[in-house]
Amino acid sequence: MARRTGFYLDKRNGKIMGVCAGIADYTGFDVLWIRVGMVFATVFVFPFPLLAYLVIGWVADSKPGTLYANEDADPEDRQFWQKTRAAPGRTIREVRSGFRDIDRRLRDIELRYTSPLHKLAREIDDLRGS
Amino acid sequence: MSEAFIPVAAISILFLGLPWLILHYVTKWKQASALTMEDENLLDELHDIARRLDDRMRTIERIIAADHEQPARIGESRTDVRPIGPGSENWSVELRSQPLRKEI
Repeated sequence: MARRTGFYLDKRNGKIMGVCAGIADYTGFDVLWIRVGMVFATVFVFPFPLLAYLVIGWVADSKPGTLYANEDADPEDRQFWQKTRAAPGRTIREVRSGFRDIDRRLRDIELRYTSPLHKLAREIDDLRGS
Repeated sequence: MSEAFIPVAAISILFLGLPWLILHYVTKWKQASALTMEDENLLDELHDIARRLDDRMRTIERIIAADHEQPARIGESRTDVRPIGPGSENWSVELRSQPLRKEI
């Protein structure tokens, strides 16, 4: 399985070589802004961005199809990995807080069903129903 | 003395100090942010489990909320009460357990 924190060309969504689309996929910025910035940078400092574009397009690997689980239907996974590339520590803490949230909600439900009040209410309900 | 010293210092700074500085910070940056392959797989799995647990919790919370909104009335047996709550029409979708993501 390919690394999900690496940089890949995105030829499927790319216009020429997929470098700008790859950067957009890597960082999470909108691809349009990256293309516009690329064009402006090429105009202002002429050869270097173009050279960098060609070198990246030539050297970098193309994105494997199975990088994210069904990414068209569900962009959540892709966003998660974009955040992870920017700050791995933060996403790890986010996953932990997700587990804590689940724990808290489960505890609430448990309390609700094990509290004496709930038992009493259920018994009253049963008496009413019978 | 100083005329001979200045170019030597400049060249040594340029060709030794600068690359050393850059490499130093590159290695530091790599150490700080690199996730190994195992870390990545672990993080992916944990993230996936957290999402699925979250979905299940939401389903259970919805069921419980529906149960408590419609307590049994007098003369009705509890089993007759159909839970009518927000989103109860797509329960069949929600209750279906999601298959584990295929290991690639």
